Amino acid sequence: MKFAIALFSPPHAPASRRALRFAEAVLAGGHEIVRLFFYRDGVYNASSALVAPQDEADLAAQWRAFVSDHQLDAVVCIAAALRRGVLNAEEAGRYGREAVSVTAPWELSGLGQLHEAAQMADRLVCFGGD
Amino acid sequence: MAKSLLLICRQSPWAGTAAREALDIALAGGAFELPIALLFMDDGVLQLLPDQQPALLEQKDLGANLQALPLFGVDQLYVCRDSLARRGLADAALALPTTPLQGAELPALVARYDLVMTL
Amino acid sequence: MATLHLLSQSPWRQPLDSVLRLLGADDGLLLCGDACHALQPGSDAWTQLRGRTRLYALEEDLLARGLAAPEGVTAVDYPAFVALCVQYDKVNGWL
Repeated sequence: MKFAIALFSPPHAPASRRALRFAEAVLAGGHEIVRLFFYRDGVYNASSALVAPQDEADLAAQWRAFVSDHQLDAVVCIAAALRRGVLNAEEAGRYGREAVSVTAPWELSGLGQLHEAAQMADRLVCFGGD
Repeated sequence: MAKSLLLICRQSPWAGTAAREALDIALAGGAFELPIALLFMDDGVLQLLPDQQPALLEQKDLGANLQALPLFGVDQLYVCRDSLARRGLADAALALPTTPLQGAELPALVARYDLVMTL
Repeated sequence: MATLHLLSQSPWRQPLDSVLRLLGADDGLLLCGDACHALQPGSDAWTQLRGRTRLYALEEDLLARGLAAPEGVTAVDYPAFVALCVQYDKVNGWL
């Protein structure tokens, strides 16, 4: 089956790790992930500016590795990202901000990508809440 | 044929950006002409109260986004009767035309849609 | 269509009333995170929940919390979680 997976919680939240473990199990089970979509506080998972304490799990780094290793389509909602200060070079330049925290493999785009993924997939699974 | 989506909106318009970011999902889907319905439930029903003045709290008017829903083709709007009643709003005039649901009508609504998100 | 609902918040933070109102006869409920505390025997949440629907709990969350799955509740690992999502027609994660 084709899965679309959305995440609404930040990297230090239980939902982020849960979503990642679920996504890993989806691929291990022989299914396909058509897109990962990060919305609301989920956009923080795409930030390369986060510094996780040495003795804590670094979910942002784990997500980045997962997306890269499997060459997944990983989209971050641009409106949610902007208001949370999660910017790529283009947006940082556009708004005159110094901090660039989003680079490949993450892509900033609109909510239309969430809808497209939900339409393409057999299952949409959303993680958040905690 | 496009998959239909039910958005269950449970957040107060005064509780940060959650309510607005949920409506943005509805409006984005409407812009793509997807079949989308909204169920306002729990504190989500507070979004439907008329005569709110968000500008007093330096907030944007969510009501404008709500009024835009039918313009984007999102006109299947439902509200949970129990949620209204618990909040003393059983007889309140609501800012949008909605179909009130109760009891078994709620799971029946959920069952009808291809996709559901509870926000 | 049968829906698998996902809850992850403590039932004393996010009361079960709302999800119970939405549950259809063919639906199921998977408890993750602090929602697993709803399985605590003797709790008001368990009294409200037991026997109401097909119940699943994420095994790692049960073990981490020292909770046991009561009879009738299926503990699932991540592969089984994925299988449930395939089995049910759609998944409604409460956000």
